[in-house]
Amino acid sequence: MNISPKEAEEALASIHNVTQKTRHSIAAGGASISLIATGIVWLIGFTATQFLTAPLVVWIWIVTSIVGSVFAIFMGLRTGKRVRITSSAMMGKRIAIFWVLLALFAAAAIAVAHPTDGKQITTLIILFAMIGQMGMGLLLSFSATWWTVPVAAVALIGYFFAPGWFYLWMGLLGGGVMIALGLYIRFRW
Amino acid sequence: MMELNETIHQPVRLRIMAVLMTLDAGDEVDFTYLRDLLQVSDGNLGAHLRKLEEAGYIAVNKTFVERKPRTYIAATDAGRKVFKEHVAALEAILKSK
Repeated sequence: MNISPKEAEEALASIHNVTQKTRHSIAAGGASISLIATGIVWLIGFTATQFLTAPLVVWIWIVTSIVGSVFAIFMGLRTGKRVRITSSAMMGKRIAIFWVLLALFAAAAIAVAHPTDGKQITTLIILFAMIGQMGMGLLLSFSATWWTVPVAAVALIGYFFAPGWFYLWMGLLGGGVMIALGLYIRFRW
Repeated sequence: MMELNETIHQPVRLRIMAVLMTLDAGDEVDFTYLRDLLQVSDGNLGAHLRKLEEAGYIAVNKTFVERKPRTYIAATDAGRKVFKEHVAALEAILKSK
């Protein structure tokens, strides 16, 4: 079989395009859904924290977190049916262990730092969550890593420069950034 | 020098193999996922998958998920080897230009 260099170039370009498309499609499936779900939870939860008071705010966080998690898991399972990763069971176990350990380390760090108000605790939890997401992204797919940087930056800017409106800032900007990134990954990437 | 593979070189089959090679060995994709990703019809994709399966380059796994029939496709070891050789042959042609 003989082909011209131009045909060879076109074939290699076609392979490259499909490879990129496949990687994006797999990464976008999980990342975009979890980003949109978490963004909506943040938007509702933090905005409520800014304006409402304790038992109601706690219930809003509990309900939105449960609904968001169930939605993300349901959509993740749907995506998982389209691409079956043979190593996913073992990987899932390791990911779960990683998040449990990270939560313990975060709790220990918060106990040692002994923050004086809710804003400090919230910022520390967000930073630990972003570290975890970045670690997962680097291990599973580099393309799922970059979004943690603008979200962490939004949290720090809000903490240092808008302390009076920190929760509203996190709701609108933190949640908004996540929703926008999720939509961008899903429809434009 | 590496040989070009006529079965794999056909444009749709080349793209099918490129998708499967993006996954780790043993991982599978659903028929509908492949169809949507490559933007081909059911019949067209089915025909090309049959050719690749007959050549031993892919494995087709028909199963039931939640009582619904699903077809999963994975590249075989032979398919992965042949695809790599095919890509190496294409690159060699470009280098010799």
